[in-house]
Amino acid sequence: MTNPEAPNENASRAIVKLPLAAAIIALIGLADAIYLTVHHYTAAPVPCGADFDCGSVLSSPYAEIGGIPLAAFGAAAYFAAFSLALLAAFGNRALWTLFGVQTILMATVSAWLTYIQYAVINAWCQYCLFSAFTTFTLYLLFLASRFLKADSSDN
Amino acid sequence: MSNANEKKSNTPILIIVGVLVLAVLGGWWLYSTSKPVTPANSNAATNKANSAAKTNTIPANAPMGAQPPNQSGSQTAMVTLEEFADFQCGSCAAAHPALNEIKSIYGSRIRFIFRNYPLSIPAHDKSYDAAVAAEAAGMQGKFWDMQNLLFTNQQAWTTAPTFRQIWKGYAEKIGLDIPKWENDIAGIAAKSRVDEDLKRGKAIGVNSTPTLFINGASIQYVEMTVPALKQVIDAELQKLAPQNQTANTAPAANTGNVNK
Repeated sequence: MTNPEAPNENASRAIVKLPLAAAIIALIGLADAIYLTVHHYTAAPVPCGADFDCGSVLSSPYAEIGGIPLAAFGAAAYFAAFSLALLAAFGNRALWTLFGVQTILMATVSAWLTYIQYAVINAWCQYCLFSAFTTFTLYLLFLASRFLKADSSDN
Repeated sequence: MSNANEKKSNTPILIIVGVLVLAVLGGWWLYSTSKPVTPANSNAATNKANSAAKTNTIPANAPMGAQPPNQSGSQTAMVTLEEFADFQCGSCAAAHPALNEIKSIYGSRIRFIFRNYPLSIPAHDKSYDAAVAAEAAGMQGKFWDMQNLLFTNQQAWTTAPTFRQIWKGYAEKIGLDIPKWENDIAGIAAKSRVDEDLKRGKAIGVNSTPTLFINGASIQYVEMTVPALKQVIDAELQKLAPQNQTANTAPAANTGNVNK
């Protein structure tokens, strides 16, 4: 009486849900990036935990490119990721692949920026670490969808 | 049925546009609520100064910090620069040459105050001790010499296990009485001065280093360059000159270290 189709259905359902989860996480990353962009232009102090040194990180030369805050690029990237993930969730599967390519780029940049905080600036900013976390989560969601797809194809 | 499909296909676009509008509006709201209030300006020069100077102003009732402060220039100068810095902060070391140049350009036309603001973070494990070492040097009239050596050689000692030996080398180099300097480091007076500066910084909302105030208005780190600082200082001098012309001719009250 077991249903041999059940693993495939579960995997398919999960694949559909992953872009939606990615869209929500990209929104959270977008909020973080907007907050940091606004901070850059107002120079208003950001609440920073005792174990962090947000000022050193956010005012370092790595915090902007050509006078544009890095967080603004981050906000644009998160918005693009959100749009791609949402369109994928609504059935445009080709855009999910594009989302995957983008998250690989974002994760690479995030890894480099985390290294910069660790080895060059010698200080941590929790907002930047949070952004790195959301970026890697987006990447992992994409990877998970690939594995689930392979899994469902195998079955 | 086709209407339903069309509606469905438009839904993500509508959501995306909605999110974009919300993001722009949210960012604008955040900007307007967190943007420091700029006082009314009377002329273009002041406008320019205030565009550079973010007016996170120092409350009048803020703790005074270490007294007398480590200061150079003139106590009667119309423009006061107050820096909160941490000796292990890379940005502070990077801003140090520009601030030194500003001090030498303006001399007694400005008052420059240095406040210790060692951050309590693992990466800055020696910054409090470095501040105490500088204050102990100040007790022999050599605060600025030690401050300069600590910043210019930051990379040499910041990760070195023998950092105390390195500092001792600096103390010898600037001609300190080493036993007295070591006693002052171990004593309470130098630490109290650091603590007093920290109290002031915390009370006025300093949460990163370097934080610089020019006549009480905070300056962004990106503006801690000689040209940008000159603009702000010149505008302040120009703004205040008519009312205080005599101050321009005031003798340099304190171009050296007062922390003796």
